[in-house]
Amino acid sequence: MKDTKDRTDDLTARLRDPATVRAAFAEMVEEYSRPLYWQIRRMVLNADDTDDLLQNTFMKAWNSLENFRGEAKLSTWLHKIAINEAISFLEKEKRRGAMSLDDPDGTVASTVAAAPDIDGDSLGAHLRQAVASLPEKQRLVFNMKYFDDMKYEDISDILGTTVGALKASYHLAVKKIEKYMERFDHGD
Amino acid sequence: MDRNKTHILETARSRGLATPSAGLDAPEGYFDSFTSRLMASLPDRPELEHPDDVEAQAGPRTFWQTVRPYVYMAAMFAGVWLMLQLFTMLTGTGRLQPMDSNPVLAEALDNDAFVDQYVYGSLDSWDIVDEMMEDGSLDSGFEFVFDDVPEDVVLPQ
Repeated sequence: MKDTKDRTDDLTARLRDPATVRAAFAEMVEEYSRPLYWQIRRMVLNADDTDDLLQNTFMKAWNSLENFRGEAKLSTWLHKIAINEAISFLEKEKRRGAMSLDDPDGTVASTVAAAPDIDGDSLGAHLRQAVASLPEKQRLVFNMKYFDDMKYEDISDILGTTVGALKASYHLAVKKIEKYMERFDHGD
Repeated sequence: MDRNKTHILETARSRGLATPSAGLDAPEGYFDSFTSRLMASLPDRPELEHPDDVEAQAGPRTFWQTVRPYVYMAAMFAGVWLMLQLFTMLTGTGRLQPMDSNPVLAEALDNDAFVDQYVYGSLDSWDIVDEMMEDGSLDSGFEFVFDDVPEDVVLPQ
């Protein structure tokens, strides 16, 4: 754990040094592109959209690097940018009528089922449909807690919500998913 | 079914679905090329990468650039002072003076005719009695004060 913190501190210091900023940024992209990709992908589902949004995320980070003062963790700052990018994208899509953020009609769930590069595990597909049917905030919290195994404190930093509210959101999300999954038999 | 419902998320976890990818696939080789692709499209930011060059190109700071923040601050304070002066002038509060150093009031109170006409003339004897009863100075002078009270008036005991 200490090694990770030291490495992040070192990376942050090199991001502030004009002589090393570009190399450090490349290192940062290498380190965070995977978690951010999945963070965005679980929200928007489509691989091409995810690629665009991931690039936008790092572009924004590069263009506002001087605004990162190191008070928050690097990962928290990047996750915030990525989530904002994904939410903005989803809102634009919603305005275009392509899908609803809170998805009352299960449009996202249908999109999940129709996505071409999803594996063949029906439990996985149904789980993704169940997650996609959640309201936006619950979906975000569930994704970060269940799939990323993040601590509530870290999620709280990213979403700017209290730990208590996050626990309540997660609990509600789990209940809704369990209810959604009742209709399927996965031979447990 | 209940059993299925209760453990469904644990079942998904045991099948390896509780991972960041959530069972989704990324395009093949996506992460191998992403960093180089992104870095190639990253715009130059000379102010980040070569701040000394940018500063040198900008040239030395002029006298105006140096003093400008102080001038703006002084102008702001002057503006606030002027607004206060304007407010004082419009409301007239600036001409108010304490009574003991007000020459106009002192001259008026020195004038017996003015005091008789405007001060004593506006006083009612009952107001004076009320004041004296309130401050406790009425005890000894009670009879004296009410010498001129008509006989049919009942005085307080």
